[in-house]
Amino acid sequence: MLTHLIILLDDTCVSYCHYNVPHVDHRLISLDDLKAGIVWAMKENVNIQFVYPDYKLPDEYNQAIASIDHTKIKPVKQGQDADVVVLTDWKVSAVDDLHHTTCIVHASRNDLSSHLTTLKEILSQVARLNIVLTDVADFTDADIDDYKLLLSKLSDIVEEQLKLGKNVQMNLLTDRLMLDEMNNCNAGVSNVTLAPDGRFYLCPAFYYDKSKGHIGGLRQGLNIKNPQLLQLDHAPICRKCDAWQCRRCVWLNEQLTLDCNTPSHQQCVMAHLERNASRNLLVRLEEEGFRYGSTHRIEEMKELDPFNTYKQWK
Amino acid sequence: MGQVTPEEKAEIQALFERKNGLAELAKIVSADNNDLYEKLVKDMGETGAKFQQWWDSKAQQYGWESHPKGNWEINFQNGEITLVVKEA
Amino acid sequence: MINIKENSDSWQSGSSKSITFIVTKDCQLACKYCYLVGKNTKERMSWEVAKEAIDYILDRENEFREESVIWDFIGGEPFLEIDLIDKICDYLKTEMFRRNHHWFNSYRFSFSTNGINYHTSKVQRFIEKNRSHLSIGITIDGTKQKHDLNRIWKTADMEQGNMPKPEEEKGSYEDVVKNIPLWLEQFPNAATKVTIASADIPYIKDSVLHLYALGIKEVNINCVFEDVWKEGDDVLFEEQLTELADAIIDQDLYLDHACSFYQENIGKPLDPERDNENWCGAGQMLAIDAAGNFYPCTRFAAYSLRSKPAWIIGNVKDGIDQNKLRPFLMLDRITQSKQECIDCEVSSGCAWCQGENYDAADSHTIYQRATAICKMHKARVRANNYYWNKLFRKLELMDQQDVYDNLKSKVTEPVC
Repeated sequence: MLTHLIILLDDTCVSYCHYNVPHVDHRLISLDDLKAGIVWAMKENVNIQFVYPDYKLPDEYNQAIASIDHTKIKPVKQGQDADVVVLTDWKVSAVDDLHHTTCIVHASRNDLSSHLTTLKEILSQVARLNIVLTDVADFTDADIDDYKLLLSKLSDIVEEQLKLGKNVQMNLLTDRLMLDEMNNCNAGVSNVTLAPDGRFYLCPAFYYDKSKGHIGGLRQGLNIKNPQLLQLDHAPICRKCDAWQCRRCVWLNEQLTLDCNTPSHQQCVMAHLERNASRNLLVRLEEEGFRYGSTHRIEEMKELDPFNTYKQWK
Repeated sequence: MGQVTPEEKAEIQALFERKNGLAELAKIVSADNNDLYEKLVKDMGETGAKFQQWWDSKAQQYGWESHPKGNWEINFQNGEITLVVKEA
Repeated sequence: MINIKENSDSWQSGSSKSITFIVTKDCQLACKYCYLVGKNTKERMSWEVAKEAIDYILDRENEFREESVIWDFIGGEPFLEIDLIDKICDYLKTEMFRRNHHWFNSYRFSFSTNGINYHTSKVQRFIEKNRSHLSIGITIDGTKQKHDLNRIWKTADMEQGNMPKPEEEKGSYEDVVKNIPLWLEQFPNAATKVTIASADIPYIKDSVLHLYALGIKEVNINCVFEDVWKEGDDVLFEEQLTELADAIIDQDLYLDHACSFYQENIGKPLDPERDNENWCGAGQMLAIDAAGNFYPCTRFAAYSLRSKPAWIIGNVKDGIDQNKLRPFLMLDRITQSKQECIDCEVSSGCAWCQGENYDAADSHTIYQRATAICKMHKARVRANNYYWNKLFRKLELMDQQDVYDNLKSKVTEPVC
C-alpha cells in the first residue's frame, strides 16, 4: 500500500540513498507541479517527504510546502529545520548542526573507514544514523574481510554509546535487532517519487538513471508495469531470506542483475555481513546484560549469499 | 538376454563414448604432432582394453550366452543386453 | 505386448550443458514466421572469437560441471559456415582430449539446418569425420504447400526491405526434400521440428502424415509463442489435431511414429509447490555470438528480439557476469505466472519460451509469462484427450491395456 510520496524539489537535490546525483544545473520543479503533487498526495492520503537542494528555495515554494504536513530531507548546510539531514562532507563543524535528527551518511566503505571518529561523534548526537553506501556495485568477495572489520568497528561505537546509556540506532547494525520481518525500501510499493520533470519514478535513482523509464505523471496517474515484481513474495531470493534490514534496492537489482526482483551477489553478501555483525553485537550486549530490540534470536549463518542455498534447494 | 545395473551401464557408456571420440580424433591428429599423437595412441590402447574387459567380466558375472558369429549389444536407454548374431 | 513409439528424450537430458555458437546471422531463406528479426549477412563469427570462447569455457572445467556437453551451432543457417564449424569442432575435440577434460567422454555436435546445403561435399565430409557425435535436425514443415507457404528463398530485394509479391515468392521445399533420403540414411532415427503459425493450421494433418510418408518417424511440432493467433485459430487447430489423431490411430501409425502433439500427461492441473519448475532451459545454456558476447540462450541476442535490448551476460574477454544469470537460475513457474495460469486446470504441458516472455513483457523482466499460446494449448489438450481416449479404447479392445498403463507414467520433456 502506498504510504509516502517523495518529492525531489530540484535536479540538484541531495542524494540520500545508493545513487549519486549527476553534475547537472539547478532545475526546480515547477510551482504548478509542486502544488499538483501536494494535492495528489492529499487525495491519495499519503505522507510527503520533500528532498531539498543545497540552496534556499523561493518563498512561494516554501509557502506551498508549508500547506501540508511533511518531512524534510536536507543537506546538512540547509539542515536547521530538517527532519532528516544528509551529511555531504566530513567537517566536524557540520556535525554540530545535527540537532538530534536522523542523519544520513552517504559514503563509500573506504570513506567510512577513514572517518570513524566523526561517525562516533555523529552517533552521539543524532537520534538515528543511516549509513548508505555508494559503492555497493564495486564490492567483491575480496572485500568481505574489510567490510567485516568496518562493521566490527561500527559495532564497537554502537556498543560504547549504549553503555553510556544512549539509545542509539544505526541502520546497518541495530535495525536487524529490532525487526521480526523484512523491512525494505519498498520503492514502488509503499513509496514513489515525483521528480522535477513532473513525472513519477520508482525512486530518485530511477529518475537520474536515464536508461530507466518513468511510472506515470501527475495528470495520467501512476502506471507501474508488473507491480507484483516489486513485492517480496515475487522475489525468489529475498522471500525466504532473513537479512531483514536489507534495503532490497530495486534500482541496484536492475543495475546489476537486469531484473528488479533479483538482488546481486554483492547486495546479498553485504546484507548478510551486516546481519551477522548485528548478531555478534546482540551476543555481546546480552553477555553484558543489555537488552536491545525484539526478543528474536538471530541464528548463526555461514553462507553469505542465499542464492547459493536456494539454487541447491530448488 | 541380460540386464546390467545403471552404474554398470554408465561405465560402459563412458568407455563407448571415449572409444568413439578417440576414433574420430585419430582422423585429425597426425603423427608429426608428436605429444598428442603419442597420448592418443596410448589412450586408444587403454580404452580398447578396458572396453573389452568390461564385456568379458560382465559376461562371466551374469553368464551371458555367446555365439562365434555374434556380439553383445547394450541399449543405453535401459541397460538391456542382447546377443546379435550376424548371418553368413 | 506391442510397442508404441514415443517421442525420444533429448540426448543426456538434464545432465548436459548446451553451448551454442551463433556462427552467422545469414540464411538463404526468409521464413515468414522466423523469430530472428535481425538477420544479416555481416555478422559472421571469426575463428579468433570462436577460439577465445572455447578457451574460456574449457579453462573453467570447475564452473562448467555438467556431465555432458552439446556444442550447438545455429544461424541463420549454420552450414553456410561449414569451414568455420569444421575448424571449431576439430579444435574442440583436440582440446577436450589434450586437457583431459571430462567432456571428451560425453559430447555431441548439434545442428538445426534448413537442409539446403546438406548434400554438399563440405558438409558431407564434416558428417563423415564426426558421425558418431552428430545430431542434425533438418527443418521441413510438411507438404510442399505448407512448407512453401512460409519457407521461402530470400531475394536481394528483401535485403533492401522490399518484400516480393505472393506470386513472386519461391518456396524451398524441393531444395530440401531432395536431401531427406540421404539424411535419413545417415541418421535413421532423426526427428524433424515443425513450427506452426496461424496460416499453417489448415495444413497440419496433411503435413505430419507427409513427413511420416517421407520416412521421418518422429515429428516435434509446436505453435509459435508469439502473439500471432487470430479469432477461430483454436477451433481450426483442434479440428486438425483431431483429424490427425484419427489418421494416426486408424492407420496404426502410432506403432512406429511419434508426434509431440500427443502426450498422455498434458492437460492436467499442476500443484503450485510440487510442480513449480521452470519450463525453459534459458540460463542453464550459454550462447555466443560473432561479437564474442555471451547470452543465456540465443533468444536473448539482439537479432532475436523485437522490442527489448539484448540480455548480454558477459563476453569472451571479461567472462560471464554471474549476477546477470541470477534471475534465470531462480525462475520458477509460479513466480512468473498470472493467477489464471496458476489456477488453470489443464496447465501441464503448457510451454513458454523465456526469450519471448522477456520480449513481450511490459517491463524489463523475464518474470512475466507470455500467454498468447493459451487458447492453442487448450485446443491441443482437447484433441490430445480425444487421441488418448481413442487409442486407449483401441488398445483395450486389442487386450493391450498394459501398454497404455506403461505410457501413462512418462513425464513431459521441455521443448528447449
